[in-house]
Amino acid sequence: MPSLLYNDMQFSVEPSGDRWDISYKLPSGASALAAAGLFPGLSEADAAVRALALVKTIFPVGIKSVGPDVTHPNRIGDLKIVGPDVTHPNFIYWDKDSVSSPKTL
Amino acid sequence: MEIKGSVALVTGGGNGIGEAVVKHLAKAGAKVAVVDMVQKNIDRVIKDIKAMGGEAVGIQANVTSEADTARYIKGTLEAFGQLNIAVSCAGIIRDGTMLSLDKETGKVSKKLGLDKWQAVIDTNLTGTFLTMRDAAEAMVNGGWPGLLVPISSVNKVGQVGQINYSSAKVADALMPKIIVGEFLMRGIRNIRCVAIAPGYTATPMLTGMNQDALKAILEDVHLGRLVAPEEIASLISYCVENEALNATTIEITGGLCYPRGIAK
Repeated sequence: MPSLLYNDMQFSVEPSGDRWDISYKLPSGASALAAAGLFPGLSEADAAVRALALVKTIFPVGIKSVGPDVTHPNRIGDLKIVGPDVTHPNFIYWDKDSVSSPKTL
Repeated sequence: MEIKGSVALVTGGGNGIGEAVVKHLAKAGAKVAVVDMVQKNIDRVIKDIKAMGGEAVGIQANVTSEADTARYIKGTLEAFGQLNIAVSCAGIIRDGTMLSLDKETGKVSKKLGLDKWQAVIDTNLTGTFLTMRDAAEAMVNGGWPGLLVPISSVNKVGQVGQINYSSAKVADALMPKIIVGEFLMRGIRNIRCVAIAPGYTATPMLTGMNQDALKAILEDVHLGRLVAPEEIASLISYCVENEALNATTIEITGGLCYPRGIAK
């Protein structure tokens, strides 16, 4: 049962007959299914490679740069705190493991 | 086209009509990609499909984003290796009349905000266009037979209080004629397009509304009840299997009429 760490999220690739399920751990500690019944007939190692590629596509990581918004309540000084907005043109998809992020931005 | 073994992508697949479509197709043997804005809804639907013995992948995304659209098409192909059916169920409402008047002065007191207009057009029209376009691109490049299903609405005829929604849905209803015409022009013969225009449907949004208002709506429905999401899913399955259905928009309303019996 391969385990993957990506973007600080814990994923597991679990066999289901001759197929594979991908589950991930929620912040609450509970587990949720990201996908079920994939990659029929693949070996554990091959399924893990395919699963990691898929996980990087369906759980994108990014950085959003925004200017100060004086009307927004979630601020620290001039820094506005917002969740990622994948629709924003400044959103950058990050397809590297979290441990391999660049030293400087 | 056979449903069993085909791959379907459904936007708005985490609840309402989209959830019913996803489950209906999965039950019939399709592999399904569940696209939705809300991750917990995706998680619930994937769990249900797993319990049914089905194959599914969930992808959280915003259909108004071109980048997200490309990402959920890519994710579907990475999971299942092909794409055959694309259904654009993702939709929103932001109702309001274009102008509101002050009762005392008779002057305009309020206008429908551009935010309410744009959000509905972005989701219900641009989102549908992006999904249809990129799904068709994948089908053509992959050489797979396919069916594109924009979801319109019976309110495409023009519903007061919904200038944004009706404008988007009438445009969605036009898509099959244009898309299939262009396919014919380009020599693309194995991909069809059929839009579905549901009437008042038993989604959480409608069943949770004021019950007196709901009763008034049902007085105009010949069937005497809301359309079940599963009935719409069943129609879409039929569209997949019946290749003569093409370049058209099918209404499924239970017989929605004007109060004096003129079919809407």
